[in-house]
Amino acid sequence: MTAEEDSPFRRQEGTSLRSNQNRSLILLYILPALLLMTSFIYYPLVQNFIYSFYRWSAFSSSKVFIAFDNYKRLFLDPVFYIAVKNNVLYALVSVLCQCGIGLIIAAALEEKFLRRYQGFFRTVYFIPAVISMTVIGLLWQLIYNPNIGIVNAMLDLLKLGRFAHEWLGDSNTAIYAIILVSQWQYTGYIMLLYLVAMQKIPAELYESARIDGAGPTRCFFSITIPQIKEMIVVCTVITIIGSFKLFDEIYVMTAGGPGRSTEVLATAMYRSGFRNDEMGYAAAFAVVLFLITFIFTLIQLKVSRTSEE
Amino acid sequence: MKSSTRFLAFAPVLALAVLGMTACGRKSDSGASANGSSGPVEIKFLHKWPQPVNMAYFEGVVKAFETANPNIKIKMEAVADEPIKDKLRVLMGSDSQPDIYFSWSGEFAKKFVSSSNAFDLTEALNADPGWKDSIMKAGLEPFTFNNKNYGIPLRINGKFFVYNKTLFAKYKLSEPQTWDQFMSTCETLKKNGVVPIAFGNITPWAACHYLTGLNQKWVPQEVREKDYDPKNGEFTDPGYIKALQYFKNLNDKGYFNKGVNSTEHNMMVETFAQGKQAMMYVELEEFQDVNTKMAGKPWGFFPLPSIENAPGNQKFLTGAPDGFMVSAKTKHPQEAIAFLKFLTNKENSAKLVSTLGWPSPVIGAVNSSNAPDFLVKGMEAIQKAEGMALWLDTDINIKISDIYLPDLQELLNGKKTPQQIMKEVQDAARQVASETK
Repeated sequence: MTAEEDSPFRRQEGTSLRSNQNRSLILLYILPALLLMTSFIYYPLVQNFIYSFYRWSAFSSSKVFIAFDNYKRLFLDPVFYIAVKNNVLYALVSVLCQCGIGLIIAAALEEKFLRRYQGFFRTVYFIPAVISMTVIGLLWQLIYNPNIGIVNAMLDLLKLGRFAHEWLGDSNTAIYAIILVSQWQYTGYIMLLYLVAMQKIPAELYESARIDGAGPTRCFFSITIPQIKEMIVVCTVITIIGSFKLFDEIYVMTAGGPGRSTEVLATAMYRSGFRNDEMGYAAAFAVVLFLITFIFTLIQLKVSRTSEE
Repeated sequence: MKSSTRFLAFAPVLALAVLGMTACGRKSDSGASANGSSGPVEIKFLHKWPQPVNMAYFEGVVKAFETANPNIKIKMEAVADEPIKDKLRVLMGSDSQPDIYFSWSGEFAKKFVSSSNAFDLTEALNADPGWKDSIMKAGLEPFTFNNKNYGIPLRINGKFFVYNKTLFAKYKLSEPQTWDQFMSTCETLKKNGVVPIAFGNITPWAACHYLTGLNQKWVPQEVREKDYDPKNGEFTDPGYIKALQYFKNLNDKGYFNKGVNSTEHNMMVETFAQGKQAMMYVELEEFQDVNTKMAGKPWGFFPLPSIENAPGNQKFLTGAPDGFMVSAKTKHPQEAIAFLKFLTNKENSAKLVSTLGWPSPVIGAVNSSNAPDFLVKGMEAIQKAEGMALWLDTDINIKISDIYLPDLQELLNGKKTPQQIMKEVQDAARQVASETK
């Protein structure tokens, strides 16, 4: 582990303290964190796996062992596929929009003529990311409202009234309407991460490129992107993991409706566990959700490690 | 030197450990005093009205009770309408159940009974006939299972159409008694450019309240009772499809406002009050709110009109009591019951009516001296009804309602037909029946 190699204990080796004493000291130091992690993360995780093999409800003590029946049912449940489809859709749009457009905005703000106003734009784009999701959800519910909402009113004003629509109420458009809200909210956040990475790029690289006759587009593709490659990958992975953990946006804006059209894995899990009292089935949802996010977390860890080296 | 550095290294760990121990110690101390014989008995009380106005009422009652009973301490907690559904389910699985908890009547309460989480209150009620007889039968009955009573109603609610009297007078309309009259009322309004009914269904309980009444009117009583029982639900009666068609028809004919599936119910109360729509289907407990928002403009109300030749009892009313149950795990059932008795005595019930405008099932609590006219009349309508159709989503098994309710949005969107919906409901009912047997 890189952390161990860098630790002060390692450097002190052979001087005053002996290494096996150090080891017990190190263990002692990580013990509180380890205990907390074990009891609040790892133990429930394992328990969740076990629970997914039972049929039980939260307030009855009897658990019936049904082996893989919850999983069989899960893979036959049309709601599961709607949820996966919505999560994937959300991830795709978010990666394109937040990581793509965020990158373009960041690069534009780093340009010389805009740099003077960067503080202003940075703040404006970042503000949505610090507002509570519940507030944003209710706000956008009003914006989309077909009777008093601003979206349809704007369309009317632009003589595009034929496109006016019941955005959140139609099962064909509801999920896209929700996805759009998240892009509005988080593009600024990702942009800020890019900006931080870009500001670490030495200015000499751009100067010498410019002397060699490279234009801004060439600089962007040949200097900016390769220099912040790791940040791009990290942002992408964060966005994908976030997309699979998605819950509040859906819960606040449509609660999975109309029908089941905006259900995602987390809301479907919540619904089966806390509404329908099928804790075992909810646990099966949780296992699938865990596996997906776990795979992406591994990728993220691997990528961030390569960047350290 | 060496040992002192070692000690320094250990110090934070030690500090943490000591801190943890003292924290634990303190916790067990307070626990002992709460349950100890010398100190006051603590009763945990969970309800669903955290809004400041409502909390003030409950705080007042709790304070008065504690003054009268210094050996009992009420620890009150309130969670809003939606989250309490989840919170109750989670709490029931734990050992930290509240001694007194809110519950809707019907199937919602029955689940707590069948999982042995509810304390049998029959004895307590029989021991105090004065208390028992002070509560309407329609309030106690939906909390009764196998002839045993498990809940004390706090409110009794009915569903009515409120209407804008100015608009009705303008187009020479009167309160419709039958469904045909209702439809022609809607048609007249629509022709004159007025949206007949305000309806917000982003959370589909709103549609479910329409269907509660329509199912009751279209399906013979004994068939419906059998179907709503999770053990033998079939939902094959053609009345269920009729009910869905009647509901869909209101939407297809354009009698609702635009965008029903993306609008909040509360928002529609506002627009109804502004006179943008002529009618709205609301609960008796919302009358106060409607009255405030109407700001002096005249309004009236009528129940869901009867349907000619439909096999259900046409004199039923949609609505239900809600109230409190006592945990079967409580260590102090007598104290909990004493508090419930206090909460539902005539004085506090009358105060509930006068301060919050809520319909109380305590006989005589709603009267012309303490309640506005609309509430008195609403209570009269409830008392006159031959029975109550309990809210569909709390009256059938949750797994069936989990299919039924979202499908009502799809029905309005034209994505699913009544036949398709009933097919799905039947499948869900079959699965539930096989699991409960």
